[in-house]
Amino acid sequence: MSVASIQGAQAPRSIWNARWSRFRRHRLAVAATIFLVALGVACAGADLIAAALGVDPSTVDLFARFDPPSAKHLLGTDEIGRDVLVRLLHGGRISLMVGLLATALGGVFGVLIGVLSGYLEGRTDAFLMRFTDCVLSLPIIPLLIVLGAVDLAKLGLPSSWLNSPSVSFWRIVVVIALVDWTAIARISRAATLSVKHRDFVQAARASGAGSLYNIFAHVLPNIATPLIVACALTVGRVILFESTLSFLGFGVVPPTPTWGNMLTNAQELVTSAPLLAIYPGLLILLTVIAVNLIGDGIRVAFDPRSDS
Amino acid sequence: MIRYTLRRTLQAVLVILVMSFVLYNLIGLMPGDPIDVMLEGNPSVTPELMAQMRALYGVDQPLLVRYWRWLLAALSGDFGYSNTYFRPVLEILAPAMLQTVKLMVLTLAVSIPVSLLLGSIAARRPNGWVDNVVSVLALASISSPIFWLALIFIIVFAVKLQWLPAGGSAMAGASFGEQLTYLVLPVLTLASFTSGQFIRYVRASMIETLNADFIRTAHAKGLSEPTVVLRHGLRNAMLPVVTVIALSFGSLMSGALVVETMYGMLGMGKAVYDAIVNKDFNVALAGLLFATVVTLASSLLADLAYGWLDPRVRLE
Amino acid sequence: MTALLEARDVSVRFPLGGSWFGPRQILRAVENVSFDISAGETLALVGESGSGKTTLGHAVSGLRKPTGGSVTFRGAPVQRAGEKPIQLVFQDPFSALDPRMLVGDIVAEPLRIKGGFSASQRRDRAGEILGQVGLPADSITRYPHEFSGGQRQRIAIARALISDPELIVADEPLSALDVSVQSQVLNLMKDIQEKRGIAYLFISHDLGVVNHLADRVAVLYLGRLMEIASRQDLFGQPSHPYTRALLTALPRVGRGRRKPGQGASGEIPSPLSPPTGCVFHTRCPMAQKVCTEQAPELLAVDGRPQFSACHFRGSGA
Repeated sequence: MSVASIQGAQAPRSIWNARWSRFRRHRLAVAATIFLVALGVACAGADLIAAALGVDPSTVDLFARFDPPSAKHLLGTDEIGRDVLVRLLHGGRISLMVGLLATALGGVFGVLIGVLSGYLEGRTDAFLMRFTDCVLSLPIIPLLIVLGAVDLAKLGLPSSWLNSPSVSFWRIVVVIALVDWTAIARISRAATLSVKHRDFVQAARASGAGSLYNIFAHVLPNIATPLIVACALTVGRVILFESTLSFLGFGVVPPTPTWGNMLTNAQELVTSAPLLAIYPGLLILLTVIAVNLIGDGIRVAFDPRSDS
Repeated sequence: MIRYTLRRTLQAVLVILVMSFVLYNLIGLMPGDPIDVMLEGNPSVTPELMAQMRALYGVDQPLLVRYWRWLLAALSGDFGYSNTYFRPVLEILAPAMLQTVKLMVLTLAVSIPVSLLLGSIAARRPNGWVDNVVSVLALASISSPIFWLALIFIIVFAVKLQWLPAGGSAMAGASFGEQLTYLVLPVLTLASFTSGQFIRYVRASMIETLNADFIRTAHAKGLSEPTVVLRHGLRNAMLPVVTVIALSFGSLMSGALVVETMYGMLGMGKAVYDAIVNKDFNVALAGLLFATVVTLASSLLADLAYGWLDPRVRLE
Repeated sequence: MTALLEARDVSVRFPLGGSWFGPRQILRAVENVSFDISAGETLALVGESGSGKTTLGHAVSGLRKPTGGSVTFRGAPVQRAGEKPIQLVFQDPFSALDPRMLVGDIVAEPLRIKGGFSASQRRDRAGEILGQVGLPADSITRYPHEFSGGQRQRIAIARALISDPELIVADEPLSALDVSVQSQVLNLMKDIQEKRGIAYLFISHDLGVVNHLADRVAVLYLGRLMEIASRQDLFGQPSHPYTRALLTALPRVGRGRRKPGQGASGEIPSPLSPPTGCVFHTRCPMAQKVCTEQAPELLAVDGRPQFSACHFRGSGA
């Protein structure tokens, strides 16, 4: 650090400038961001791409089974003649949406529990943390399968409504969010505890601020960094859970494609068309790696110590 | 310390009780009920008979009563009958458990030494090329869907190279070596999945330890590099690593379920999966509960071990 | 002169080991402390670390409810933080300012909590107050990390001033600062007091600073008041052996050798198991048998308004 920067002459106008420049120096994180943005755009524009190529993802063409890659079918066709590329993009749409939405939902739940626990301390804290330990002690995949198999009609929901595809989508979002909030809760709690005892919270209390004010004005902004990193990692994990569940047949059900359920059939094709088994998994792998790298990049960017 | 142990154990037992109630309810929410499944496809069943059967098996009782009966029976070792195999649940789960224990022990036997080695090597020169290669491998490992990993291994080692069987179990009476060949791919898959996480922890823990003052002192005393890394570094870095390994039993169980399903191994995971698919309520419940107990027990042991190993924790 | 703030028999006890079962220990941080602060006056609270100074400061400002006794402000009890015109300045200027907030928002925060001010009104007031504590007007659009320790303490003082308090509890506001900066902040606090007539409860372990600023001084040891007197009396003729020990420990230039046998030896005992009788007897150079058995009361020395909790008050001077 130079003398000038100690004296504040070169002090950046905003801490966000400094963070952005630190993030940009993390080359892998930048590459991961570009990859994810490109993938997101392609998935969002899947219908346009399909129209441009002149293919319809749901058309079954038994005369075009296992076609090799061609100008029309860039990645070939699957076992009933559907275009693999367009189906991958449609599947990506579901997988990415589930990843984001389940993280958002579980994140809200986790932050709520973690911040309450850390801010109130005492018995509330002990109770909420034991509850978190309970959920943490459950074997996640078996639990997800049971939750995925639960008959919602037994909870008194109308069965006509339950069979619509959007319900099966939201169901998986909720099921994963119900299970995967513990990491965020623990991180929020630890961060809240450390912020709560700083003097600026005491200063606000001395001016008459209540708990809600302090939580929103001081605690949440100050725990944002560890939370964002935890959320990035959660998105990756959720995508893995979703694909596993859909693969096992308890998640999003065909004909709606996801990266997970596209592999359900591929299992029987390992001898005849192994490439069909490779594409969706590769996309999951790359997406989750990218999400983890971005999380790493954000962590570095927000950590002033990483400047040296 | 004894008091701490007692308190944590008591808490764990309470948690298991609560979880057994939650799981009992969850299983109850799965489609159909045991009587439906039992009498499925039997044309001579009348509604009166159904009602009789329900009363006979106590399915018409209030939930708490049913749970209490189940709990009392379970505590005496009776988890009911499987309605697909028509045998006591324990008779089905016991051999499956043996298979899963084999899989998990072998997996840990592979992944722990590998992680310790790779993690330590990577930590010696952070951001050196060795570290970068190891870190990328570890990242890929925690980022890959385990069922896909299994699929790839089957394609490469079973279909293309034809070195190993793609799944299933050895015939009864097969030689030990032959039995082992069926375990190679599952263990490899599960180990690749767990190692990534372990390596990251070993590496982080080692980097922190190797930066400590006592390591600098060891170097200054003129000790050789391997002595410093192994005797002083690894030993002190082990504490958090042991905890992480113990805490990973939950995800190991999850991984085992997927791996067993992929390779058609008759383990706990596959048993639970099949039970849920076939609505075999008693087996599913017992299997889930067992997995929960194992996970809880391992995290309890991790906590207690931490207390025994680290004098600082003991004092509190 | 009527008292602005009255503390009567204030005690703060913490239960420790708050598990659901298992024995609890009681930490007696503050025991039966009484004092008054008049308007515009500076009462200094001195003592070693761990003597309960900060806890007492929190109890006075309403941040922590005393477990015994009462605190009244202008005759009305202080029930919770923020209801009376009392503000705080903290020791660590880095922890005192939210790193995620602009300095303008930090300074104007008391107004925002109080309500009734528009954003532009708050900004104007913040800029004005920052000017009064000697910071440039453009500070309001900067973040705390762009400021030095002394500047941060000025920002904290500006935040305390913006709501026109009548009492500021300053908890070791100088001890984290460089010596050269300390005198600047000290002079700033003096100026503010002269202009606005604010009373200070000035918590410090530095008797040199206290001698510059205080009107009266209260000496705290293990949560109990040992002596309370005007600055002149306390420094000129200390009546309690603990006060004398503190004064002996002061670095002095050209005032002769220290008298031997007046310092306090040993460590401050644990507030979990305070000594019987006079809590200071374990370290006192003039302790007698009565000191181990009977706790001395806080009584006037020779009819002066100088109060001392010592069986032999005044006799060692």
